[in-house]
Amino acid sequence: MHGIAYDPIHDEFTVPQQFGQAILTYRGGANGEEAPIRVLQGPHSQLDAPEHLDVDSVHNEIFVPTRDGAVLVFPREGRGDVAPIRVLRGPDTMLGGDAPLAVDPVNNLLIVGGTAGRGQTRLLIFNRTDSGNVKPKAVIGGPKSQLYAFGGPFAVLPSKGEILVSVRGPGPYAELSSEEACVGVWSIHDNGDVRPKWTIGGPHGVLRMPRGIALDVKNRNMLVSDKRLNAVLTFHFPEIF
Amino acid sequence: MRGLIANRRVAIPLAICLALWLGLTADLRRGPRLVSYDALPPEDGAECDPSSPGISPAAGLSLVAGELPLRDLLLRDRLLQARVAAETQDASQRKPERMIRDPYAAYSAVAVDAAHDEVVLTDENLFNIWIYDRGAKTPPNERTELKRIIGGLNTKIEFQCGLYIDPANGDIYAVNNDTIDTLVIFSRKAIGDVAPDRELHTPHGTFGIAVDEEKQELFLTVQHDNAVVVYKKSAKGTEAPIRVVQGDDTGLADPHGMALDTKRSLLYVTNHGSSHQVRARESRRRGAAPGFPLDRDDAVPGSGKIGPPSITVYAKDAQGNARPLRTIQGPKTQMNWPTGIAIDEDRNEIYVANDGGNSVLVFDASAEGDVAPIRVVKGPASLVSNPTGVFLDKKNNELWVANFGNHTSAVYRADANGDVAPLRVIRSAPADQPVPGLGNPHPLAYDSKREQVLVPN
Repeated sequence: MHGIAYDPIHDEFTVPQQFGQAILTYRGGANGEEAPIRVLQGPHSQLDAPEHLDVDSVHNEIFVPTRDGAVLVFPREGRGDVAPIRVLRGPDTMLGGDAPLAVDPVNNLLIVGGTAGRGQTRLLIFNRTDSGNVKPKAVIGGPKSQLYAFGGPFAVLPSKGEILVSVRGPGPYAELSSEEACVGVWSIHDNGDVRPKWTIGGPHGVLRMPRGIALDVKNRNMLVSDKRLNAVLTFHFPEIF
Repeated sequence: MRGLIANRRVAIPLAICLALWLGLTADLRRGPRLVSYDALPPEDGAECDPSSPGISPAAGLSLVAGELPLRDLLLRDRLLQARVAAETQDASQRKPERMIRDPYAAYSAVAVDAAHDEVVLTDENLFNIWIYDRGAKTPPNERTELKRIIGGLNTKIEFQCGLYIDPANGDIYAVNNDTIDTLVIFSRKAIGDVAPDRELHTPHGTFGIAVDEEKQELFLTVQHDNAVVVYKKSAKGTEAPIRVVQGDDTGLADPHGMALDTKRSLLYVTNHGSSHQVRARESRRRGAAPGFPLDRDDAVPGSGKIGPPSITVYAKDAQGNARPLRTIQGPKTQMNWPTGIAIDEDRNEIYVANDGGNSVLVFDASAEGDVAPIRVVKGPASLVSNPTGVFLDKKNNELWVANFGNHTSAVYRADANGDVAPLRVIRSAPADQPVPGLGNPHPLAYDSKREQVLVPN
């Protein structure tokens, strides 16, 4: 499972279930073997191997990337065999397969991870409501960007227009761990081969294989999971909030 | 002044500012020429007044120049690099305020090397293989004395879940799950951060392992593809499987553990229950290895099902879209994430590590359908907690359980039943240590209402 989204407005959280090709939504306080309150699954859904997702709790939509390079958008309250209400797909989108994504409901943006050849990835920024074969409005990536590979799902801080990305590092053990790994922060207004505004926890810091990122805005904390450390780290980081 | 100039933190910015001014003046005098630059690592103290002409980000990216002397070009490049570096604010050395991390091993699979009287355990937390004396006596509430350990980046050990010990020579076959697509094999003499003696490139998401010593075949389950792949036991590198079990009729559904009944030529597989169809779609195959099962790129959209857990039973030489000979499944079975599985061919019983049910279930191996287990080891005295591995030591008539949930591997009489205390315990941590239960955490979510972090594993 490579995605989870907590919806603070409706107090529920949503996860992809890859093997069963489903999107499961639970009440926020779910505990133990509690059944989901909604299951989205079936032939009309077009879900192939959902690993990532994000939920736009303002506009009530769920965004799910597919393995073959599309982003499916479902109604948040969709249940059963529901077709997507929008599909972002086509060569102009530059979308790869099953990349992490994040929705910025305030600035009306959809940020999707993409590949740009071996050892390089990029952030593709679309309008939130884009559909069909549209070009991204901005692309962040290139040698100076240090976007070697995504470690996992990224986070968006709409109030500051920041994108927080876990970046895997290169090196002889890159598959397992890298001292070059870090969390990088870019702006939603960035475009091109732009260096991160901040690097946190690395390079040569505590992180080895950062993955998911979550933000605790109230306490101005950034939470990061790290595969190699098999840990969840909380950085107090008021500068970015 | 000498002291000031000798101060690198001051001298370099001054030199860079001077060079910028000279360079820009030269730019205006001579015709345009594109100057490219590659960024260098940030340099301490390289600061310059951002209001100086020519050092806005836009100017930096579109700078043109005339035929500048090489020295000036280099100096200006350094200025630009300093400017770019200044754009990245460095919090690389910031320490986390808190960290949720278990400092002790979380055992995931267990096997006994009866010939050498050792017990071997994989660890999904610290990524080691731990070897103890089989009969090690652990003082109450203390850690068990270790015999040797294999671990470190050279070993390629990470989130290991399946384990097999070669009865002839003690070789350790340890299955990496879904972060490293490599089966690693160590000799029993391996110790520390050593490269595996042999590696085999596998499909993504292998979990269980079984070996048919008579036929010299090695079986692996593949969670992501709902498949079983069979290799020559000696396979290495990118050698292809010799056969694959996969298809709509197989009943494989997120397969995990595996056990072979060589007497009856049967293969038992535990399934967590989720599945989807696959169809060969060449247009979507991305570097699929020869002989591998169809993978996620071949998934039929919308075909997914989330079903109850099961044990499916096949002929040992099954291949292709083989139907199970029998299926054990239903509420009476008490199965809830059945994971590791072992078989007693003489008593015709199968032992199942029932992860979600905090129990070890023992079934008549001939069972079919919705049947109750004939024995259940479960309860606080038993110490069974999120068990993911089981091993039956026939030589000593003992049942071993790897408990992911409490830093222990516990051993019982093979016929144990109910809430029985273990005969012995291998313990990686003092008994009172908390267990965060992290196992390959990936995404995170923050529940702002409850001020809790949600961590799928």
